[in-house]
Amino acid sequence: MDSAPVSCNFVGGSKMTKAKRVLEEAREIRNPELDLVEKGISAFEELPGLFSLEFVTRLTLSHNKIKVVPSSIATLVNLEILTLFNNQIEELPTAISSLAKLRILNVGMNRLRSLGRGFGASPSLEVLDVSHNKLSEEGLPGNFWMMETLRALYMGDNYFENISPELGRLKSLQILVIRNNNITYIPREIGNCTRLRELHVQGNVIQWLPPEIASLDLGTSRSIIRLEDNPLAPPIADQWALGPHHLLEYIKTDTYKTLYNNAHRSRR
Amino acid sequence: MERQLSLHIEESSLFSRRKKSYTTRHEDQWENINLALGTMLCSRCGEGFEEQEKIVNSNGELWHPQCFVCAQCFRPFPDGTFYEFDGRKYCEHDFHVLFAPCCGRCGEFIIGRVIKAMNASWHPKCFQCNMCSKELADLGFIKNQGRALCHDCNAKVKAAGLGKYVCHKCHGVIDDKPLRFRGEVYHPYHFNCSACGIELNSDAREVKSRPGYAANDMNQLYCLRCHDKMGIPICGACRRPIEERVVTALGKHWHVEHFVCAKCEKPFLGHRHYEKKGLAYCETHYHQLFGNLCFICNQVIIGDVVTALNKAWCEHHFACSVCDQRLSPKSKFYEFDSKPVCKKCYEKFPVELRKRLKKMHEQAAQKAISSPTPNP
Repeated sequence: MDSAPVSCNFVGGSKMTKAKRVLEEAREIRNPELDLVEKGISAFEELPGLFSLEFVTRLTLSHNKIKVVPSSIATLVNLEILTLFNNQIEELPTAISSLAKLRILNVGMNRLRSLGRGFGASPSLEVLDVSHNKLSEEGLPGNFWMMETLRALYMGDNYFENISPELGRLKSLQILVIRNNNITYIPREIGNCTRLRELHVQGNVIQWLPPEIASLDLGTSRSIIRLEDNPLAPPIADQWALGPHHLLEYIKTDTYKTLYNNAHRSRR
Repeated sequence: MERQLSLHIEESSLFSRRKKSYTTRHEDQWENINLALGTMLCSRCGEGFEEQEKIVNSNGELWHPQCFVCAQCFRPFPDGTFYEFDGRKYCEHDFHVLFAPCCGRCGEFIIGRVIKAMNASWHPKCFQCNMCSKELADLGFIKNQGRALCHDCNAKVKAAGLGKYVCHKCHGVIDDKPLRFRGEVYHPYHFNCSACGIELNSDAREVKSRPGYAANDMNQLYCLRCHDKMGIPICGACRRPIEERVVTALGKHWHVEHFVCAKCEKPFLGHRHYEKKGLAYCETHYHQLFGNLCFICNQVIIGDVVTALNKAWCEHHFACSVCDQRLSPKSKFYEFDSKPVCKKCYEKFPVELRKRLKKMHEQAAQKAISSPTPNP
């Protein structure tokens, strides 16, 4: 036990030591950006003293084996960017929403079934990436759609079947990614997200698009709309084959509005 | 509807106010009228007078002191002042209560000249034009929608109702375009150009100052021709001459307050502006509209910009979206939900996901070739 340095040769231990060295160095030079990518970390306990580095603004822990994010993450009060991509996280602590400066949260490729209670209280969140998890609409807390600061929402590769009409409350939203879910219907309220300029809905079971989409700025060269791999209704599929601009022009027409209303009469 | 009425002001002769000195005859005067006593009777009760009794003499009529009282309250007249109406005498208070008209404006009793108009009575001073408060008693008035107006105000109201102005000089309705000058409106033909002397039309321009004129010189009128020759800059927004500070931008002149952001319409007031396709924008809206906010810091990009995947980054913020490691603008990266992913991270993605992403990428590329987006 006393001959500690010898254990450096042990493979797992060498990675651990590297993580510790990163922390020590960060403490010495007060480095606000912490990179701990692919360090074989399986728990925050392997990062002693991390939570005392209150000056940290970015913490990147991608490609590790972390299962639990402790509530003490909230002590990193200056954290703006937290990247936990490709770990084994099953749930997020409520404390994460008390990080007042957190702007970018990437928890893509984890095992999340739910975002945890009160998640929507995050006061500054601008970019949220929850791609490739096990989320469905039941896993979103009641206040999820109240995050008015959100400008990009990545929810691809999950188990969503519905998107709440409350989507329309995300007034700053510029990017919405809901590809590869089981979504049947995009709510008309999407028309309230007036700044939307990227919409990725590939690989769902969408037949119709709400006419309100036409009022958004999605048909220009500065926008992205992705609809592939959906069982689109024939009139939409025909226009889509001609290009996004044609599609959006068609959706604007009264003919389409009538078609859409007829198709959704039973729904409303 | 307005009704034109002829002047109808009554001069009231309702009563005359009197203060007559009545004489009380005392003992020492008694003998002089001794012989007449038998023939004298009180005007009220018709009885004669006792010897040594006081007699009130008013206007040749005689009274017992106790009979010389107000016909309404039977009390003596204060200060001996009484009002006579229909042969009866009243104290001031009762006379007012019974017979005197009240003013429709101030509510006080009217003594003297009474103006009867608009179904009410008025003191001459209180009967005024509803708009300009001019006294109307001697000018006459016009009834307009329940208001009494003087002739001038009535003409104004009438003109306004027709959407027209009244000339400030001749008070006539202006049928054509009015000429605005020193805050009033006029028929243009009342004026001549200050430079060439030609009779003006509504195109004439009012000029506050021009080179060589002192700041407190009065405004002058010029015909359009002379005005154009004076070289006063015209605002590119409101098309009116600029007489204060001139902003020159986008090849035009502007009033300071009219040079505004094409998006939020707030004046720049000397702040930096950005030009795009002949329009000017404030810093925030230029970047919001033309996309130069960094995807990471959401701030206006100062310095080198990396543009890719429909987004922009500060050069030092351009990084792999999975591991946050910086990417050089030249380095190869993969696209994942229109975000950049470095090769190392991409190779860690499950095989199934990589296959799908590859397929999606091909579809999008195909789409881009088969249907180019129209570029307005």
